[in-house]
Amino acid sequence: MPRRIVAKVRKWSAGTSAIVVLLVGFAAGIVMLGLAGTTLVHTSSEAFCATNCHEMATNVAMEFKGTIHDKNRTGVRATCPDCHVPNAPIPLYIRKMGAVNDLWGHYITHSIDTREKFEAKRQLLAERVWIYMKGNDSRECRHCHTVAKMDSDKQSDKAKVRHAKARKEKMTCIDCHFAIAHNEPVGGPGPQELEVDRSLLSRGAIF
Amino acid sequence: MFKSLKALRARLVGPGSIFVLGVGLAIGMVFFFSVGSFMVYANSEEFCANACHEMKVNMAAEYKGTIHDTNRTGVRATCNDCHVPHEYIPNYAAKLGLFSDYWGHFVTRSIDTKEKFEAKRYELAKRVWVYMKENDSRECRHCHSSGRMDPEKQSEKAHRRHEKGRAEGLTCIDCHFAIAHTEPNGPGPQELNAAAAAAPTTK
Repeated sequence: MPRRIVAKVRKWSAGTSAIVVLLVGFAAGIVMLGLAGTTLVHTSSEAFCATNCHEMATNVAMEFKGTIHDKNRTGVRATCPDCHVPNAPIPLYIRKMGAVNDLWGHYITHSIDTREKFEAKRQLLAERVWIYMKGNDSRECRHCHTVAKMDSDKQSDKAKVRHAKARKEKMTCIDCHFAIAHNEPVGGPGPQELEVDRSLLSRGAIF
Repeated sequence: MFKSLKALRARLVGPGSIFVLGVGLAIGMVFFFSVGSFMVYANSEEFCANACHEMKVNMAAEYKGTIHDTNRTGVRATCNDCHVPHEYIPNYAAKLGLFSDYWGHFVTRSIDTKEKFEAKRYELAKRVWVYMKENDSRECRHCHSSGRMDPEKQSEKAHRRHEKGRAEGLTCIDCHFAIAHTEPNGPGPQELNAAAAAAPTTK
């Protein structure tokens, strides 16, 4: 089938004037990239992430409801992609490729299609996200939260002291701000207990 | 020179090939990617607040230290978040409107000194207020989902006034004006209603 299409295109392009072929290619290029971009935007929306598979809808999205990133004083929110999809182009494309793994789990292995299976894997899944965030110095947090633009006078005394301490100890956002949008896994180590090769940090900032 | 042009013309009129199609495809993608990247760059604080001195010395300087610049959480709204539409079509329309900015910058030099800017401040503010009132503060609402505001975390005064604002059909900018730039002298956004509403209600 594809070979027949290629043959058809080859025949058409050989029988048409070069300028027309070039313009058709130009238009096709715009349409293709436009579709790819639109797909990336659509698959990075809350409407898609939180409702498309019941794995997300019944577990993580449900737990997110009512947390500080969902509902707060100003109504400024962070939804699924803000924390879990990189904003830098290259890491974004890599993460989107990684979504093939999600399709595998959804259609083939059915790895978290019941609440029980999800709960059994909660620590593992949480650890995976924590390590990713520790590795890139909480890049997705920092995409919205600009540390230099935080007004410490508007923060509580406790927050002020702890932020200063964390900076000195070279900790990153997720080390303390974990389980703020989803239930905390029980029993296992938290982000601070997890070992991350800090020499990977500069690489992690890219990937 | 003419010879090579003729040769090029002959090639273009002559039959193409799947290779020519591939070249067109690549050019189309590069073109689209460039336009998209430019749109992203032209929306950045780095560009808006720094590229012309008109913005830099006036609006951007006034914005420093306001609640949308520094605050408790460090979550910010920069120039484009409030002043560039986020939906596709209004976004493109606004980007085309940039020609008006070029005209003012290069040709008429309409606000190239502090004095000229101050003289036009009310007119410019009013233009933005009317735009925001007409689209029900669409750009505010892109970040602030009123359905996801927690009234219990707001002050009692804010809670009460939001209720009143909703009952009276007010929009964000009616009260939250001059929060990122210096307030001009003259009627504010709410007073602009009176003039607009006068005609239909007098019948």
